[in-house]
Amino acid sequence: MKINSLAKLGGVALVTGLILAGCGSKSSQSKKQEISWMTPSPIATMDTSKMTDLYSAQVANGTNEGLLRMAKNNKVDPGVAKSYTTSKDGLTWTFNLRHSKWNDGTPVTAKDFVYSWQRTVSPKTASQYAYIFANIKNADKINNGKMSPSKLGVKAEGNYKFVVSLVKPQSYFKFMVTQPEFFPQNSKTVAKYGSSYATSAAKDTYNGPFVLKGWNGTNDTWTLTKNKNYWNAKSVKIKDVKFQAVKTPSTALNSYNSGKLDFTTLSGTLAANNKKNKDYVVFPEASTSYMEFNTKKIPALRNANIRKAMSLAIDKKQMVNKVMQGGDITPKGFVPADMAKHNGQDFAKQSYVKAGTDYNLAEAKTLFAKGMKQVGKKSLSLTLLGADDDDTKRASEFVQSQLTKLPGLKITTQNIPLKSKLTRAQNQQFDLVLSAWIADYPDPSNFLDLMTSDNPQNDGKWSNKQYDALIKKSESTDANNETARWNDMVQAEKILMNQQGIAPLYQQGQAALLKSSVKGVQPFPTSPQYDWAKAYVK
Amino acid sequence: MAKYLGKRIFYIILTLFIVSTITFFLMKLMPGTPLTNQAKLTPTQIHQIYKQYGLDKPVWQQYLVYLGGIIHGNFGTSFQFSNQPVSYLISSRLGPSLIIGGQGMVLGVLAGLVVGAVGAIKANTWVDTSATIISILFISIPSFVLAVLLQYYLGLKLRLFPIADWGGFMYTVLPTLALAASPLAETARFMRTEMVDVLSSDYIELAKAKGLNKVGIIYHHALRNSLIPVVTIIGPLAVNIMTGSMVVENIFSIPGIGEQFVKSILTNDYPTIMGLTIVYSAMLCVVLLITDIVYGLIDPRIRINK
Repeated sequence: MKINSLAKLGGVALVTGLILAGCGSKSSQSKKQEISWMTPSPIATMDTSKMTDLYSAQVANGTNEGLLRMAKNNKVDPGVAKSYTTSKDGLTWTFNLRHSKWNDGTPVTAKDFVYSWQRTVSPKTASQYAYIFANIKNADKINNGKMSPSKLGVKAEGNYKFVVSLVKPQSYFKFMVTQPEFFPQNSKTVAKYGSSYATSAAKDTYNGPFVLKGWNGTNDTWTLTKNKNYWNAKSVKIKDVKFQAVKTPSTALNSYNSGKLDFTTLSGTLAANNKKNKDYVVFPEASTSYMEFNTKKIPALRNANIRKAMSLAIDKKQMVNKVMQGGDITPKGFVPADMAKHNGQDFAKQSYVKAGTDYNLAEAKTLFAKGMKQVGKKSLSLTLLGADDDDTKRASEFVQSQLTKLPGLKITTQNIPLKSKLTRAQNQQFDLVLSAWIADYPDPSNFLDLMTSDNPQNDGKWSNKQYDALIKKSESTDANNETARWNDMVQAEKILMNQQGIAPLYQQGQAALLKSSVKGVQPFPTSPQYDWAKAYVK
Repeated sequence: MAKYLGKRIFYIILTLFIVSTITFFLMKLMPGTPLTNQAKLTPTQIHQIYKQYGLDKPVWQQYLVYLGGIIHGNFGTSFQFSNQPVSYLISSRLGPSLIIGGQGMVLGVLAGLVVGAVGAIKANTWVDTSATIISILFISIPSFVLAVLLQYYLGLKLRLFPIADWGGFMYTVLPTLALAASPLAETARFMRTEMVDVLSSDYIELAKAKGLNKVGIIYHHALRNSLIPVVTIIGPLAVNIMTGSMVVENIFSIPGIGEQFVKSILTNDYPTIMGLTIVYSAMLCVVLLITDIVYGLIDPRIRINK
C-alpha cells in the first residue's frame, strides 16, 4: 500500500511539475482561470420552473440570464433586455431585448420568455414558486386551473419586445425578473426532452455567462464553463468554476486546507475557530431570525409592554457572538440591513428603532411588571416552539435563559422537526415561536407584507390598523412614487418595532473561507447569493 | 438446490412486499410535506401542488397507485430531484456504495478472522491481549469518529490518501478502513472465542496425538470448525455496514445511496424513501441467502437440498 501510494505521489508530483512548467512557458503572470467552489448541496434540478432551493438557483444564475441581471448595491444591470420602460400607471413594463443567443447558437427571443412564464404558472407544472407571479395579470386564475396559461398577462411584440401587464404597480418588479423563475426557456429543448428536461447538463440549453458540464442529474461534482455564445462573453474572464458538493462541514474545511477548494462555507464552531484566518469572510444575508408572539391564543401577548419587555430581555449581541458563533450579525429591525437602498440610504438604518432590538434588562423588568399589571396577571407560563436543528436549539435555550430573568415569566422550550414546526406555526398552535424569513427579492415589502393582519404567514396574528394602512398605501396610491412608497414602508417598520409585533433576534450571515487569489466573485444578500460572471484568479 | 433457491427467492419477494407496505404507511405518518418552500405557500397553493402529484388522495389509494407502478417497474420520480426517476437516482449512485461496503465487509471479516485466530492460538499471551484491545477499541469507536480521524491524519496531515471525493481506488481506501473497523472487531472476538473452544476439543487433542503438525491441525480442523458460527454474524454485520455507510459516505463526500437515504427522509421525498428501502432490504436478503448457501459449503452436515 505504502509503495503504491508513494509511487502515486511521485506521479502526481511529476504531472504537477509538468503542468507548472507548461504554465511557466506560456505566461508567467496570468494564473489558470479556474476556481474550485464548495457547495453544501447537489443540484436538485435545472428546470427553472421547478427550482426551489438556493443552490440550484446559484448554478442557474451562472448558466442562464433573465431580462435583467442582479448587480451590487441593490441595483440591476441589463441582461437579455438592453433597456426597459414602465407605463405611467406602473402597470405595463416593456422590455427591449438585445439580439442574444442560446449556447446552441439559436436566438433568444421574447417568445422564450412568454413560453417560460406561462409554463411556470400553468398548474400542470406544479411549480412551488408560481405564487411569485401573482402580480402578473391572470396568474392566480391560471394557477388555480380556472384559465388557460395563454391568457397570462405577457406578450411578445415581434421577436425582441416583451410586454408584461401587472395587476398593481410593483416598483421592485425589476428585481424579480433577475431571478431564475423569470428566466427564458427554450421551448424546443423542453419539447425535445419532455419530463426529463433539465434533469442533466446535456438536456438543457443555456443563455448565461456559463454552460453547465459534467452534471449527470445525481452527482456531486459539475463545472460551469465559459459560454462562448453569451452576449457579454468578452467580460467573462474565468474559464471554469468547478463545483464540489460537500455535505460535512469539517470535510469541506479539510479539503480547503489541503488546497483542493478555493472556497468553503463555515458554520457554528468551525466559523468561530477560523475567525482569525486571513481568508475568513462574512456575507450578510437578507434573512432575519425572529420570535413571533401568538396574540390570538395568549391574551397577555396582546399587551405591547409585555412584548417589548421580552424583546429587551434578550441580549442579541451575546446571542450572535457567544451562542450562534457563525457569520450572524445583530439585527437592526425586521427588514435586514444592507438589503434595500433608496437614494443611497439603507432601509434598516433609516427605519431603525433603538428599543426594537436593544438589550436592557432593567427596563425590561419595569415594562414587564407594568404590562402584567395591565393584564391583571401575576405569572405567565409560555412554551417556546422551534425547529430541532442545532442552531435553532441553541437559540431556543439561550432565549429561554434570557426570558426567565423576567420575574413571573416561565418558559419551556419545545424543538420539533422543521416541517412540523411550520405547520403548527401556520395554525397558531404555539405561544412563542422562533421563525426565519429569507427574502425572495431585495425589497422591504418582502418582509413587511408578512406582518399585515390578513397575511397567512403572520403566524402570531399581530394586527395594527395603521400598519396595514401604510402597507396598503405603499402598494396603491404611493406605488408609483418611489420616495413616498419608501417612506410608507419606513413608517410601517417603525410601527412594527415600536409595538414589537415580532422580536428580531439576529440577521443571518454566511461565514466562509475564500482564497485571496480569487477576485471578483459578487456576493448578494438575496438569491442567487454569488455571481461568478466577473470572477478571475490573480 | 434449485428448488431451495426458488423457495428462498419467493420468501425474499414476500419479505420485500411486507417491508415496503409497512414502510409506506409509516412514511405517511411522518410529519411534514415534500414541499421545499412550505413556509412561503398558502394552504390553497399547497393543495394545488398536492393535486398534481396525487398526494391529495387517501393514503390507501396512494399505496395502490404506488404498488401498481412497481409491478410495471416504475418506482416514480423524486420530489427532491425534480422529475428524476427514482430508479435512475439509485442506479447511478449504487456503485460507490457497493464498492466501499463490499470492500469494508471483505477486509473487515478477513482481517477479523486472522486477528481472532492469532489471538486464540496465542491465547493469554501479549499477542492475545493486544488483539483483544484492538477489538474493543474498534467496537467502541463509531465509524464516523474513525472516519474523521482517518481523514484528518492520513488525508490532511500525511497526505497519503485523498481527503474526500470519488474517482478511483485511492479514494476508496479511507472509507473502506472506516467501515471495516467494526466488522473486524466483531469477527475477531467471535473467532477467538470459537477457536479457543475448538482448540481444546477432543478431536483436536486426537489430531495432536496422531502427530499431525500444528499448521495442518489449525488449517484443516480448527479453522473450518470455528468458521461456522462466525458465518452467522455476517448478516448483522452487513446491516452494520449499511447503517455505517450512511454517515461515512457523507464524511468522504462519496456519491452513494446512504447519504441519499438520509436526505430523502429529511425532505419527505416519498418515492425515493420507498425505492431505497426496497433496495436496502433486497441487499440484506441477498446477503442472508448467500450466508445460508455458504453454510452448506463449509459444513457438509447442513445440507440444503430440501
